[in-house]
Formats: sequence, structure tokens, C-alpha cells
Amino acid sequence: MIGRPPRWPSIVMAVFGFIWIIPIVGIVMTSIRPLAETSRGWWRTDSFTLTLSAWQRVWEAYPLAPAFVTTAILAALATVGTMLLTPAAAYAFHFLKFPFRRLLLIIIINAFVLPQQVVIIPLFQLWRELGLIDNFLAVLIPYVGLSFAWSIFLVKNFLEDFPSEVVEASRIDGAGPLQTFWHIVLPNSLSSVFATGILQFLWTWNALLLPMLYLRSNVPLPVILARVNGTYELNWDLQSVAAIVTTVVPLAVFLIFQRQFAAGAETRTGAKD
Amino acid sequence: MQETVAPRTVDAGPGTTARPGGERGNLLATRLRTGDWPAAWLLLAPVLVLFGIAVVFPLIDTIRLSFFDIKGLAKPKFVGLGNYVKLFTDPAFRNTLLTTLIFTVSTTVLSVGLGWILAMVSAFAPRQTLPFRVMIFAAFGISEAVAGYMWIGILRPDDGGLLNAAIGLFQPGFAQPWLGDPRTALWVLIVAASWGGVGLPLMLCFASVQAIPRTLFEAAYIDGASHGQVMRSIMMPLSLPGVRVAIFINLLGALRAFDIIYILTGGGPVRSTETVGYFMYRESMTQFKLGYGAAATVVLLVAVLVVSIPAIIQRTAGAR
Repeated sequence: MIGRPPRWPSIVMAVFGFIWIIPIVGIVMTSIRPLAETSRGWWRTDSFTLTLSAWQRVWEAYPLAPAFVTTAILAALATVGTMLLTPAAAYAFHFLKFPFRRLLLIIIINAFVLPQQVVIIPLFQLWRELGLIDNFLAVLIPYVGLSFAWSIFLVKNFLEDFPSEVVEASRIDGAGPLQTFWHIVLPNSLSSVFATGILQFLWTWNALLLPMLYLRSNVPLPVILARVNGTYELNWDLQSVAAIVTTVVPLAVFLIFQRQFAAGAETRTGAKD
Repeated sequence: MQETVAPRTVDAGPGTTARPGGERGNLLATRLRTGDWPAAWLLLAPVLVLFGIAVVFPLIDTIRLSFFDIKGLAKPKFVGLGNYVKLFTDPAFRNTLLTTLIFTVSTTVLSVGLGWILAMVSAFAPRQTLPFRVMIFAAFGISEAVAGYMWIGILRPDDGGLLNAAIGLFQPGFAQPWLGDPRTALWVLIVAASWGGVGLPLMLCFASVQAIPRTLFEAAYIDGASHGQVMRSIMMPLSLPGVRVAIFINLLGALRAFDIIYILTGGGPVRSTETVGYFMYRESMTQFKLGYGAAATVVLLVAVLVVSIPAIIQRTAGAR
């Protein structure tokens, strides 16, 4: 503000910041101490033994490693799919003239309000008829299809600031619409395409509902995590490790790219004005 | 092709004589209008196909299925509005509607309210509070399912739960089964869900406060305004756009909530934490009442649409 910043904001924020990471600290502590020690509370310090036994045992008890690979493949494919198809569509909607353009655009960008629960039953029946249950396509198609609502909006929003003189100049020089897209518009809108990719990556990595219903044998991490429950035996230590393994990649991506994420979230909902 | 283009350029003639350079624009526009179709459809084809399968078809089919009684693999029976009548006379579903309302409004008020206030507090010392903001943002980057597991360590029913142990300091032997007691389950679920939700409003409102011109603050302080007055009369009104966006995103997220409920309570105890988003999953995917579940989905869809009408109007106006 003006002059030296006061001290009280830091104190208030520090209090909230430390309260906020208590659940995270708790799960880390539970994962690196023996269950006997943490079962009366992970914060107790009367005795403190560091052990990686839960980290070793969980890989044998649950298929975490294959699930990690599955999650990575699914998230990568869905992210690449969205990043390839979205800019083409956003370019077509923004720079090209064709019938039903406005109507299609309105339908697609407003679909972002649809809860994903809407797709569950019809797609479940469709995949069952097509024999696609347990096929990666069963989740990849809705992942990518549902993402267009916000991804096209985000990239098209970015294109609104794109100098149209450049596009017109390339057209006058004889470039067709596809050449203009490939050589002029796409290389200059990569930042918005990457912002879209980050959002899609986080969303797909963390997805629980669709893979839980449509996949059977190769399931991603959140589904495995939901299966690691200790109804008959206490296994909070194993749960903790599985939770950390599930969230470490998206959390790292989120912390590294949080600026783009914030910018994306802002433009995504039309707060640009 | 040429025959159709020629008359149009002639038509454009009178207008273009007044503005030099306009003719070129009109020519270009004419050419764009006819030559763009194939390219546009080519670029859009994969998007339209995937969007059709993943959004348009399920949307129409859910509404269609909601009029049928479907039991397993037997032939679906048309029941008209029967599913809806059953829904609204089912006391469990009426309770679900109330739970959804409480859950949605409370998580939104808690996370947006706290995020908004913390954004303004940190705006008084942006650099010094950065690490603490990151600590709060971090919770937003954690998936709902994982967040659920993190909260189990705090909400455990014995004195191994942090919350019970903390209360136990003042009231020895205190043991409340937070997630197992129908009176408290919904409220601790709301707190756990809001924990992750504070990051976004904090981020958005902090960005809007940062965007306020510094001169405005300088003028206010020179006129003798206190921090409280600056917060009330400058920061709060000028960060309202960020608040509006955050409220909207939070409401939509809470209405469709599933993951955290699935992990923490599974809708229980005695269905006290079942929202519409969870109810439809239970009815259709665990009880296999697909038509009944579809009707619940349509109710959820209507609720979502009511919430999002202002945003839809805003977006539609922007679709040029």
C-alpha cells in the first residue's frame, strides 16, 4: 500500500495458513510413523519412530504402481486431445463464417454448467451396448467431450485480443483458412492452449466418478484410493500413502502453474470485463 | 461460383466509394463468407462428434429415461411423470433436497466469505503473506477424494482424532463420532468441503484487489482513512466481480458434489449427508433404478440451470 506494510496481516495469514495445512501434515505423519504410534493421534510426540514400512507395504497390498501408470496415460491422452481439438474449434468459431455458427457456439460454451451426473446413465448404457465398458475410450470420450464447454470459451476469449489485421493480411496474401490457422493463429495462441491443458490435466488426474463406473480392471489412482478402506483392519497408514501418491503429481502441477490457473479460472467465467 | 461473386461486389460498390479501402474489406468479407464453410466444418468435425456423444446425447437421453421405469435388463416401461411424483413424495428425497440446500449454501458462504476476507487481509502486505497464501491455495490443488482421507485423521471418533483431542483438553474424555452422528455429519462434511474451496475465492479476490490503481489507496490514506475504512469502501466494492465469479463456481461445484461425500460418509449415517448429486448415483448405480436416478438427475439439472441463468445470459451475450 503506502510506506511500510503493517505486521498484522502476516500474523492473521500465518495463523490461517498453518491451520490450513494441518490435514496435509497429518496425512504425511501418519504415512511415515508406525500405526501403533499414530492410532492414538498422529500429533503425539511421546515416542517418535520414523518408518517407511507403510510406503513399502502399500505397493504389495494394492496395485498402486499400475494405477499410477493408468492415471498418467489417461490424463496425458485427455490433455493432448483437448489441446489439439480446442484451438481448431476456437479458431473456427472466432475467425470463420459458417451457418449455425452462433447457435453452436452458444450451445457448446453454456454446457459448462452441466453436472457430470447427467452423462452417467446414458453413457453407461451406451458403453454397455458397444462393449466399451473397461475400455479407456469409455472415459476419454466424456473427459474430452465435456471439456470443450470451458476450453473453447477460454481459447476463444484469448483470440478476441488477437489482432485481426494479421489474419486479414494473411488471407489477402492468399493463405487459406487452414494455412492461416496453422501458421499464424495457432503458434501465437499457445499460452491459452497450455492453460487449457493444465486445467484438463488436473481434472482428469483427479476424476473419481467416471472411471469408478466405466473401468473395471485398469483403474486410475482415485479409484484405488477409494478401495483402500479399513473396514476389517485398521490401515490408516496405507490409506495415507495411497492418498499422497494420488495427489503428489496434480499438487505439484497446481503449485507450479497456479498463475495460469488463476488467469484461466478468471477468463473462464467471463469476468474479463 | 464467379457469377455469384460478381454481382455482390457490384452491390458493394456505392458504399465503398465513400470510404477508401472499404471495398477491399467487403471483397474479403464476401470471399470469407463463401470459402470458409468447408474449412470450418473440417476443424469442427471432431469437436462436434465428441461433444455430441459426451454432452448432447446424454442430456437428451437422461430426460427421456426419466419417464421410464427400468429394472435391470427387462424392457423399460413408460411411466410418464411417475418417477417425478415418486421422487417428490419420497421423504428420503425431500430430505435430500434440504441437505443439498444446506450443503450448497453453507460451503459457498464459508469458502467464499473466508476467501474474500483473507484476500483483503493479505492485500495489506502482499509480499509478506505470499507463503501463507500458497499454503491455503495448496488445499485447492488437492483432489476431493484425497481431501476426504486427510479429514478422516481429524474427525476420527476416538481421542485419536485431532478435533476430539483438542476439545478433550478442556473436557477430558470427550469423544464425539463426528461422521457417525447424523446431527454432526453434515456440518463436518461442510467444513471439510469448504477447506478446499477457500483457495479459489482467495486467488480471484486477491487478483482483483491487486488490479485496483495504487493512487486510489494513496488518496484514501492521505485523507486519513484507516485500514478498516480502506477495506470497507475501496477493496470490498472493487473486488465484487471476483466474489461473483467465486460464488458461481462454488455453487455449481457444491451442487454436483460427489467425491468427498463418497469418501467421508457415503451419504450416511441414515442418509443425512446425501445431496441430489449423490442420491442419483446411489439410486441408479447401486440400486439400478436407472429411470428413477435419471429423474433425480433432471431435478439436479434444473437446480443447476436456475443457479447459472445469469452467467448463461452473460456468456450468450458475449458469443459473437
